[in-house]
Amino acid sequence: MISKDEQVRAAIAEQASEWLVANDDGPLEARDSAALAAWLKASPVHVEEFLGVSVIARDLREARSDPEYSLETVLARARAEDDTPIQPFWRRVIGPVRGISSRRWLTAAATMAAVVVLSLGLFSLWNVRPIAQVSAPGATTALHFETRHGEQLSRRLPDNSVLHLNTDSAVTIRFGKTERLVTLTSGQADFEVAHDPEHAFRVFAGSAEVVAIGTKFDVRLEGDSTVVTVVEGRVAVGPSPLLKKLGPQSSQNHPPRFVQLGADQQIRVAADEWPATPAAVDAQRTTAWLHRQIVFDQEPLERVAAEFNRYAPKPIEIATPALRNLQISGVFATDDPEAFIAFLRSLTGVRVEVTATRIRVSQDQA
Amino acid sequence: MAEHRGALQTFFRRRIRSKADAPDLAQEVYVRMLRISDQEAIRNPVHYLYTVANNLVKEHAVLDRRQASGIDIDEAPAHEHLETLPAFDGDLDATQRVARLGVVLQQLRPKCRAAVVLRFTHELSYREIAIHLGVSPQMAKKYVTQALGHCRRRMARLG
Repeated sequence: MISKDEQVRAAIAEQASEWLVANDDGPLEARDSAALAAWLKASPVHVEEFLGVSVIARDLREARSDPEYSLETVLARARAEDDTPIQPFWRRVIGPVRGISSRRWLTAAATMAAVVVLSLGLFSLWNVRPIAQVSAPGATTALHFETRHGEQLSRRLPDNSVLHLNTDSAVTIRFGKTERLVTLTSGQADFEVAHDPEHAFRVFAGSAEVVAIGTKFDVRLEGDSTVVTVVEGRVAVGPSPLLKKLGPQSSQNHPPRFVQLGADQQIRVAADEWPATPAAVDAQRTTAWLHRQIVFDQEPLERVAAEFNRYAPKPIEIATPALRNLQISGVFATDDPEAFIAFLRSLTGVRVEVTATRIRVSQDQA
Repeated sequence: MAEHRGALQTFFRRRIRSKADAPDLAQEVYVRMLRISDQEAIRNPVHYLYTVANNLVKEHAVLDRRQASGIDIDEAPAHEHLETLPAFDGDLDATQRVARLGVVLQQLRPKCRAAVVLRFTHELSYREIAIHLGVSPQMAKKYVTQALGHCRRRMARLG
């Protein structure tokens, strides 16, 4: 049994961990900083435990070359935890005693195994090693890119892929031993993926996951959904395993984990809906932003305004509800709102007022 | 210069790994922390703590070698100060410690383990960890706190 002293020390270790994490997440506020200094000055045991916890963090940092600690391995296991149905507590303790419940449990386990085989099968189809079988040390390099409102950015990445980032967007890219792991946290990005079957290019964006090998595609976060458009080649799109529990609900009609998309196809993945169906689109239109253009073909003014507002320094506001459905067609420059204002002014019955903070569009009474 | 420092650190790490050192060191660090003014300590307590601890380790090493000078204490980032610290968890050597940390980490639930490894091994932000694990940033911090506390207790065999 552990002694009272050890219990006290364990509690101090706990406090030390809390302080370390608080301090680790950016500079402490003056008040917290004073509280931490006071806590450290309160006892040599506090100092020892804080240093002890710090050394654990240091040892973890130095474990970078150990494959057990690779990004792919820890993430794969964390995701596996998500996919495992939680067993009721009593079952864990007393085990399956009655025949019926144990048989039901076995069926569930078998279904789960089938799902795992299915997804592994898909991965091998894509000539990608399943993420759990990582053996090489995972020295990972990470790159982070962000754009502000109205800003765009293009970069060639170390693997020769090209990243285009649209307005108000953020993306992190990690090059692991077996994967190129991309997280789009906001906005829209276009990827020209350099062909490399040894390193799958996986994009996690909101509700969706996209797996590609060498292709060109566009990913956009739109509210709760993620829109993926393929310009060239093929990609596989599925619901994001990071947000959704992919447990086996119905054993018979389990939807496929991934849907394949070819050039000029687009899919919208909503947070709780899967499978989704790809639709035919003109991918050049979706990626017109690469040339600082937006293309509209008979689209309601409301949507056009929302699209413009992604780039414009002053938002467009539709004051007359009836105008929201006004159909607009045309090609406009994202960085030239003046041209769009001039276009709106040319429409009959439309009035445009430019104020210091906004562009107000209303019905012309005259 | 960098090579020189690397060699020194290797030497220190080997040198300071004796049983009695860690609590003694903590005690000495504590006494020095008491001596400094509150204003100084409050500005960046953690940086101060690491600097004091690191300087002490270096002083001990110098005394042991009966060398009076030759150590430059530069403005290294806070985590570099950590490199010379002993582990405060008994008499394990580096290899044993790495092996034990591996075992101790396996005792955590996978998400908790992922969070602490993503934070310190891969240096992801709490926001990024939250995205990868499908939890809130607060939850990500909670996982990391739990994991650190668990590792520390088990490494120091506090039950």
